[in-house]
Amino acid sequence: MLFSELILGIMKSIDGQRTVSSPYHLLKGKKSGQTIQDVGYFNLHAYFALFPKLDKALYDQEIAALENDGFLVKGTDMIQLTDKSRTVFSMQSCLDGWKYRGKETLFFKRLSLIVQTFSHATHKIRRFDPVQTEEDVQRWVKRYLSMISFREAGVAESFKQELFASMIAVQLPDAGKQVVMNRLSGFQVSGLTWLQIATSTGLKPLDVQLSGVETLHGWMREIERGNYPLLLPLLENITQQSAMTESAVHTKRLFEQGLSLEEIAVRRTLKTSTIEDHFVEMAINDPSFDFRPFIPVPLYEQIISTSKLTQSKRLRDIKEHLPEAGYFQIRLALATQGGAK
Amino acid sequence: MNLEQVLQETYGFSAFRPGQREVIEGVLDGKDVIALLPTGMGKSLCYQFPARFLPGSVLIISPLLSLMQDQVAQLKKLGEKSVVAINSFLKQGAREEVWRTLGTYRYIFISPEMLAQPFVRQQLARIQISLLVMDEAHCISQWGFDFRPDYLRIGDMLPHLGNPQVLALTATATKKVVADIRKYLHIPEAFLYEHPIDRKNIVYDIKKFDSHKDKTDWLLHYTDRYRGPGIVYAGTRKKAEELAALMIEKGESAAFYHGGMEQQDRIFVQQQFQNGELEWVCSTNAFGMGVHIPDIRHVIHYQLPTSIEGYVQEVGRAGRDGNPSLATLMYAEGDEALMESLLMDELPTEFEIRAIHDAENRQLLVDQGIVRETALRVGAYWLSQMTIEKTIEQIRKLQNEKWWQGRKVSELVTGEGCVRSYIAQSFDQTIQGKPSNCCCFEGIDYTTFETGTKSSPQVRVEGWQARLARLLPD
Repeated sequence: MLFSELILGIMKSIDGQRTVSSPYHLLKGKKSGQTIQDVGYFNLHAYFALFPKLDKALYDQEIAALENDGFLVKGTDMIQLTDKSRTVFSMQSCLDGWKYRGKETLFFKRLSLIVQTFSHATHKIRRFDPVQTEEDVQRWVKRYLSMISFREAGVAESFKQELFASMIAVQLPDAGKQVVMNRLSGFQVSGLTWLQIATSTGLKPLDVQLSGVETLHGWMREIERGNYPLLLPLLENITQQSAMTESAVHTKRLFEQGLSLEEIAVRRTLKTSTIEDHFVEMAINDPSFDFRPFIPVPLYEQIISTSKLTQSKRLRDIKEHLPEAGYFQIRLALATQGGAK
Repeated sequence: MNLEQVLQETYGFSAFRPGQREVIEGVLDGKDVIALLPTGMGKSLCYQFPARFLPGSVLIISPLLSLMQDQVAQLKKLGEKSVVAINSFLKQGAREEVWRTLGTYRYIFISPEMLAQPFVRQQLARIQISLLVMDEAHCISQWGFDFRPDYLRIGDMLPHLGNPQVLALTATATKKVVADIRKYLHIPEAFLYEHPIDRKNIVYDIKKFDSHKDKTDWLLHYTDRYRGPGIVYAGTRKKAEELAALMIEKGESAAFYHGGMEQQDRIFVQQQFQNGELEWVCSTNAFGMGVHIPDIRHVIHYQLPTSIEGYVQEVGRAGRDGNPSLATLMYAEGDEALMESLLMDELPTEFEIRAIHDAENRQLLVDQGIVRETALRVGAYWLSQMTIEKTIEQIRKLQNEKWWQGRKVSELVTGEGCVRSYIAQSFDQTIQGKPSNCCCFEGIDYTTFETGTKSSPQVRVEGWQARLARLLPD
């Protein structure tokens, strides 16, 4: 999948309902109420936080290219796809941004320092410039290496076997596997920059990065499911334990203790609107979330049927038809519906 | 104590590099020391060696994060575990642990910004600091090319730290700068060790061109003719990228390097250069620290550097192995304009000073793009010391100083004398014994740098299985 195809894939789900920059926030993994809500409303879990460091200028370039190539109507703030974009089909993918939240980079950092250490150890070299400079990564790897007694006979071989076996089992094209492996380094083997990989495969750096992330997601899933005792520990603290942000979890706890929305806002010295965002998050993530303390049942049903009738998830559209409903009530109703899907 | 024996046993070297013994003896004698040692002369040994014999901790103040990280990495590579770096990268959770065990570290690295925080000072006051090392000590002087106002506060902190012995290290300092180091660190009696700035194995060349196109053509011709490893310094990130792209197009083994790249990519370029997979790196002045390659043969400045001091440091990355190396400075008329704009870029404008002065939330000014980060740092410092009118006057003085700094670079290329002598004079030194291959005004024997047939290594993408097999061979 190319980066432009990724953007079009996202845009198809939110065509006419969100702005051109909303896929950018989604890919960055912005933790705002709006973005997290949209993940639930439009079922965009796969794409969340795929590019935590995405450069806005690069994103804008991609958008301009899509406009120039006639996939996207020019100069509108709201996304308006053209007929031509309907001819592009997004491929099945292994992407699972909601689950990994950009933490695949942590998995990869651990892996690359471990591989570098093994690679030097094979040549009996104990001192080298570590490819990962972050202290917590270094500490983690040190602990891991001593845990698996990495210098003992056969350990390096088993590790290598697991790498091969798990990578072969990933159901993705070799191109992405090549990207991941060329970002590893070892004794007299240097890593390649995104640009170098891109240039020699005739792609753009963003395309290469995307196939790298996708491969990592597929690989991590394989490691989780299969039998790879040496690789499994690398996933420690990588998968999102709770799908919610920490702040929303805090709010949830207080709500369960019996505090009202307003009381929680006072207790946490946060704006009511922020706490409302948290409730929307809860609704998205918890299918058993009870909306009744916030929305009378008849109104809830009206909101849902209006959304279906108008084929819209835009708050303003629904509000126009149902002036008596509050914005928070509309958001919450739509969120529970997304979760029920 | 037999210093050589300790050197051999601990570091595996049989002899000190020039200057190291003098500085180390001075420190071990309990003196305050100012050491002027050229880049690559083993500055860090000057505090690492005495640290073995001193009680308590050694506090090292380092102005650049990358420099600090490199020094910490080098120490760890030597097997030293008792080292900590206190900077903005240190995470909150880890910090508390560090404060608790602070006194147990032999080496404590810290940035001047961190040192300015009262809480951090309190923590440091609790422990025994036997030696305070100030790296890049020229940053304390406004006459230095890389003035950092934060450094000025360090002198005021010394009493809080129990007035430890001081070791000021720098690669480049004029008499004026040395006087400032003495004054602001309150070490008027410090022993000064001054190593000659001149490096005999570096040959200085200056090439003048009529146009930028001529420059580029010449550079491409040069990189085709000579073998690396070599660094091409460009004035901007964009130019570094452009030049690398042109070289790659010509089939050279080249890459660019600058601070705008992601950390991992930067490390990969360093690895490639170190492993001999790359011959040429086109970069901004961000490249060099953390690169420990002894056989760099060429340092080319595609644009004018912003100071003689910076130039000497960058050129000093060549020929650490002692073999002849060629430093080429390229110049086309009009190049001064870029240099001057880069120079003035480091100081706040009057508009920025007034904005900083009037603002309630200064960081907001940076976030909104009204004031530049560096401008805020410098402006805020002076505003904390004096009135706004005095600050504006002070910045004017600094601008004037920068202007002179630039003039000295211009005179280097327009002058009609020996380049080596000119550089030495800029540091109030004189040359003793010129090498036969000296500089373009004395005539250069280029055959020294010609090597036989040239086969460029190339960085290539491999299939994933082949790659893995190469990383982890059986």
